[in-house]
Formats: sequence, structure tokens, C-alpha cells
Amino acid sequence: MKNKSIIAVATMLGIFNVATAGNIKVVTTTTDLKSITELVGGNKVSVSSIATGYQNPHFVDPKPSYIISLSNANLFVTVGLDLETGWSPQLLTSSRNPKIQKGSPGYVDASEGIGLMQVPGSLNRGEGDIHIYGNPHYWLDPLNGKVIARNIADGLERIDPSNKTFYETNLQAFYKKINDKMAEWQMKMAPYKGSKIIAYHNEWCYFERRFGLEIVDFMEPKPGIPPSPSQLVKVIKEVAANHIKVIVSSPYFTTSSSDVVAKQTGVKELTLATSTNAFDGIKDYFDLFDYDINQLLTVLK
Amino acid sequence: MFATLFQNLKFKNYALQRVILKSKKLILLLWVMFTSILLNAQVVKDSTAIADSMLLKQIELQMQNNTQPAPAQTRSGLSANPDIGVIGDFQLSYISKGKKNIDAYLNETEVSFQAVVDPYIRADFFVSFGRDDATGKYGVEVEEGYLTSLSLPARLQLKAGKFKEAVGRINPTHAHALPFIDLPNAYVNYFGSGLNDEGLSLSWLLPNKKFYQELVVQGTSGRGESPSFKQSEGNRFIYLAHLKNFFTLNDNATLELGLTGISGPNDSARVTNIAAGDLTYKWKPVKMNTYRSLTWQSEFYYSNAAYTSDLSKNSMGLYSFIDYQVAKRWFLTGRYDYAQKPFDKKIIEQAYSLTAGWNATEFSKMEIEAKTTDDNVQSRYYQAWLRWIFVIGAHGAHQY
Repeated sequence: MKNKSIIAVATMLGIFNVATAGNIKVVTTTTDLKSITELVGGNKVSVSSIATGYQNPHFVDPKPSYIISLSNANLFVTVGLDLETGWSPQLLTSSRNPKIQKGSPGYVDASEGIGLMQVPGSLNRGEGDIHIYGNPHYWLDPLNGKVIARNIADGLERIDPSNKTFYETNLQAFYKKINDKMAEWQMKMAPYKGSKIIAYHNEWCYFERRFGLEIVDFMEPKPGIPPSPSQLVKVIKEVAANHIKVIVSSPYFTTSSSDVVAKQTGVKELTLATSTNAFDGIKDYFDLFDYDINQLLTVLK
Repeated sequence: MFATLFQNLKFKNYALQRVILKSKKLILLLWVMFTSILLNAQVVKDSTAIADSMLLKQIELQMQNNTQPAPAQTRSGLSANPDIGVIGDFQLSYISKGKKNIDAYLNETEVSFQAVVDPYIRADFFVSFGRDDATGKYGVEVEEGYLTSLSLPARLQLKAGKFKEAVGRINPTHAHALPFIDLPNAYVNYFGSGLNDEGLSLSWLLPNKKFYQELVVQGTSGRGESPSFKQSEGNRFIYLAHLKNFFTLNDNATLELGLTGISGPNDSARVTNIAAGDLTYKWKPVKMNTYRSLTWQSEFYYSNAAYTSDLSKNSMGLYSFIDYQVAKRWFLTGRYDYAQKPFDKKIIEQAYSLTAGWNATEFSKMEIEAKTTDDNVQSRYYQAWLRWIFVIGAHGAHQY
């Protein structure tokens, strides 16, 4: 009897081992996290992202269909800092998956250790949609990509320690590629250091800092508030006064208001990618910066 | 005197013996606990040593790789308080019949407290300060107060407390999140302001990988009274089962089909059975989902209520609405209501309503609704409302 139960337990453990050794199922909130997880996890992981690359990550609809993949996931990776506060906590609770709840080994907050910008001293919603922990669009600085990758590697190593060396090797390769690409991107952008631009939404501060741009104003009068006529007048004046060459927007905003400014001033409009897969050809995290920088160069020249 | 003293002593002795006996058990228990802790502690000690060396290695490795400067600013606003939010619902109303035609009131003030309790459960409380229509005075009510399990096995989730029951789409939704100001006539006939009761709810996520399927089973006491159900004087409870099927048609469109059955005691101390179905089509283009969307939602209710041993009444009702997002902040909703009175299905109400909504931000919206109601007993009447919803503090996500 005892022997039988030992065999039974051993078989169960065996099955469990087989199940975890093959594919680590990872669900990420955004496509950038998906791309970095794939680069670090290699063939040990299968990753799906809830948001698409061309979607506003603040406003993802918490469709029950996402719960299916979450309920089977071994690891959950989130941008954090209340970027996904309107949808991911609800999906996590509904997933009934204790492995990926906040505080569990399978929960990765990619923002751990990021040097945050625009952390508010006080909170007043009269200032629009402001983020209590700071601006959450930090993945748009490639050097922050390293911190994200470190956090993801830590998560993978927590739940799959047997492949630690594998993940560490991939992580080093990722660091190296970021360093190499960074040199290339910095060189390309160097001649345009200090270029003044207008942005639609306050989501470019990390990118702005890294590549030496200067965002003069936003199309939105306050974060999350659609452009008003008075704001358009203000922006038109600023474009003329500062010889601004470009208005930078994202795939999920309408261009109607920037069209007005462009018509009045001749400023160019540019829809940049805010995430991997925003447009065809942006297949990974590196493509994202290649695309955005090449696009910017065409208008800043 | 000696006798009593002796007796007392004897008694005390007896009591002492009991205490000793008890404490022996206690000591045994403590000893078992102590040794088990000791044993565990030894195991922990070993693993701590390994974990320590692993941690050291990890730190060393991190030190080597750390090219990122330390965070420039620390995070703010960390506290152990639950998320607290207050929702105000101010209304103006007009009705074409009766003596008082125009009214203005703070319809509801809802205070929410929400947080994870521990690694096993989370808690959600909604306290409502509402106006009593009859007295005009404000009363406090626990609108909902329940715990939700976070770590049950086998894709199960348990809810316990007072909660809005899983009847289709309208009942689980808080009034301020609906795209119209009044509630559908058929819904009001059967559930009043809502089927919101005290008890247990168990939900199971079916292991279906093709589409989302959830089965909810609820048993409640009937304390939260509604037109269809009352608390029984005996041991009868209200039982509900709801099957939710959710299909992703493509990236931009989804379809939800729900089936509900409810059975419970009514005010005639007999049983009312209700069968309900809901169908919801949603179109929301993923890329521009904050600018355009469309929802077509319908619910159907069929009720069988026994009043005496040989008298039972059948009735049915439905509503159907289309909610279209015209622009980023503008919504238009048209709704049709059909409702047979549960006590007499020959009395039929039909109503048409149109609501225009302006969502200023995620935290405030204004709506205006006009409605016309016809039935075959009284003459047609008109109603209109204006509602202003405003939220301060934390505000959780709504269901899709």
C-alpha cells in the first residue's frame, strides 16, 4: 500500500515536471513586454500579449476571453505603475490563477528599479489623467529595456530555476544588443539634439530625455482631455515661435486636431510607434526604436 | 462552618484537578507544536543557507550587470488603506402624470472600499446612501459587501456576503455604469431595483479553450427583498444558476450569450421560478476603441409564480437596446421595453426611450433621457431625466 502511494506521488511529480519543463506560458500586458520575454526566454517560453501594439494601453477592454490564457499562465508580466489599472487587476482576479497574483512568484512588475520621471508631489485630478507613481511610458527608453529584461529574467528564474543559465545567457545577449543599438541610435540622433517638437499625449518623456529632444507642448490641454480650440490656438503660436518641425502622435489617436495645426503652420505630422507590432515590420523591441528614429530623421532633416 | 470550608476546599481541589488535567492536554499540545516548529525550523534553516548563497550570487550578478542608476525618486502614496471611492448620482426628473411632475434629488451616494485581504481572498464593500422615495429621507444601506477567493483550486471562485446576483447583464452592473438612467420595465417588474441578496456564490471557469464559459451557482437567504422573491419563514432559499458563454468573433467584435434559472420562495410562501436569457453583441475597434463602439444588448425573462396550491401565474418581459458611441465623449442609446405584469399578463407595458450621454472624463458623465410608456390600462405618459455622475478617489474597472 505504502509503495503504491509512493509510486503514485512520484508519477504525479513526474507528470508535473514534464509539464513545466516544456513550455513556460507567459502572458504580458503589452507587446513590448512580450518581445523582451521572448528574447530572454527563447524556446523555453510561449508568450501572448493582451494588448496589441497599436492600442492605447490605458484603455484595453477586459474581455473575458483574456481570462482563458491568464488562467493557464505560469508567468504574468505587467508594465505596472497604474498604466493598466483600468483592466488588468480585474482580469487577474477573474483568472483564479494563484500563481500569477500580485506577490506570487509568477507576477512580474517590469517597472521595479526604473528611475521614474514625473512623480507627482500631490494628486489632483483637475490636472487631468495623472499617474500617482510617475509617468508609466518608461519602455520608450531603450536603456530601461535592460531593467525590464532583468525583471523578466528574475521572474523566469523564480518559476523555472533549472534553466537559469539559459536565461542569464540570453539576458547578456539582450544587454549587448541594446548597447550596440544604443550607440547607433544615439549617433543618428546626435545632430538633432535639442530639437523642439509637439506631442499629442504625455507619453514620450523617457524617449525625449534619452534622445535629447525637447517637447514644447501637447495637443491635449491636460493628459486625457481631447484637444480644445484654445489649445490648438496656443499650439499654433508655439509652432511658429519655436520653428517646430513635427507633431508626434500615436496610432490610437485621431489626427483631426493636428491636421488643423499642420494646415495653419505647415508643421509635419508623424504617427510614431509606441509599442512593438504597432505597424507591420516592427517585429521586436529593437525594431520599435529603429522605426521611430528613422521616421523622426525624415522630418527633422 | 468547617463543613462548608471543607466542601469549598474539596470543590477548589476538584477545580484544580480539572485545571491540571486541562493544562496537561495543553502542555502536550504545546509540546507537539513546539517540536513541529523546531523540525520545520531546521528544514528552513538548511534551505535558508542555500537561499542565502543563491541570493548572494544573484546580487553579485546583478551588481555586475547593473548599468542603470538607482531610482531618482521614490514612489509615493503607499499605504495599507483599501482603495476608497465616492460616486455621486444627482438627478432631475419629469413625469407627465400625477401631481408632482418635476423633482431634483441626489439619487445615490455610493462609497466603495476595495482591497486584497491576504493571499487567499479580496474584499469589496459598497455602502450606499440613498433617498427613500416614500419618506424622502436618506438612509444607509450596505449595497454590496463580499469576499472573493483568489486561490481555490480547479478554476473555482467563491464569493460570500451580500452581492448583486448573476442574472444576465443588468443586474450585476451598478446603476451608474448603465447607459440609461431608468431601469427596463420588465426588469423592474421582477427584480425591483435589483436582485441583491445575502449568501454564497460559487463560479467555475469551464476548461474550454475555444471560448470563455463560466458557470455560476448561487444560494441566498432572500433577505434582500425583490418583487419576485421574499425571505421564507422556513428553511427555503433562493437558488440561481447562470451559464455565461463569451465568443470572440474577431479582434473588434464579441458575442455573449447567457442563460439563467432562479427558483425561490415568494410573498405567498410558495415558489417563483424565473428563466432568463441575455444576448450581447459588442463592436469596439481595437485601434480606435476610445472613439467608436457599438453595443446591442437584449434580455428576456419568463416567470412562473405559484400563489396558492392551484393558482399560478406566468408572465414574460424583455428589453433590447443599442448603445452607439458617436464620438470620443458622446454616446446615444435607444431602448425598447416589453413587460407583462407578473400578476396579470394581460396588462402589457411597452416603452421607448432615448438617452444621450456625454462622458467628460473617466470620472464624470452627464446623461439625458426621454421615455414614453404605453399600457393597455392607463393612457400614455412621458418621462425625462437628467443625471450627473461624478467619482472621486479610486474607481475600479467595470465588467466588459
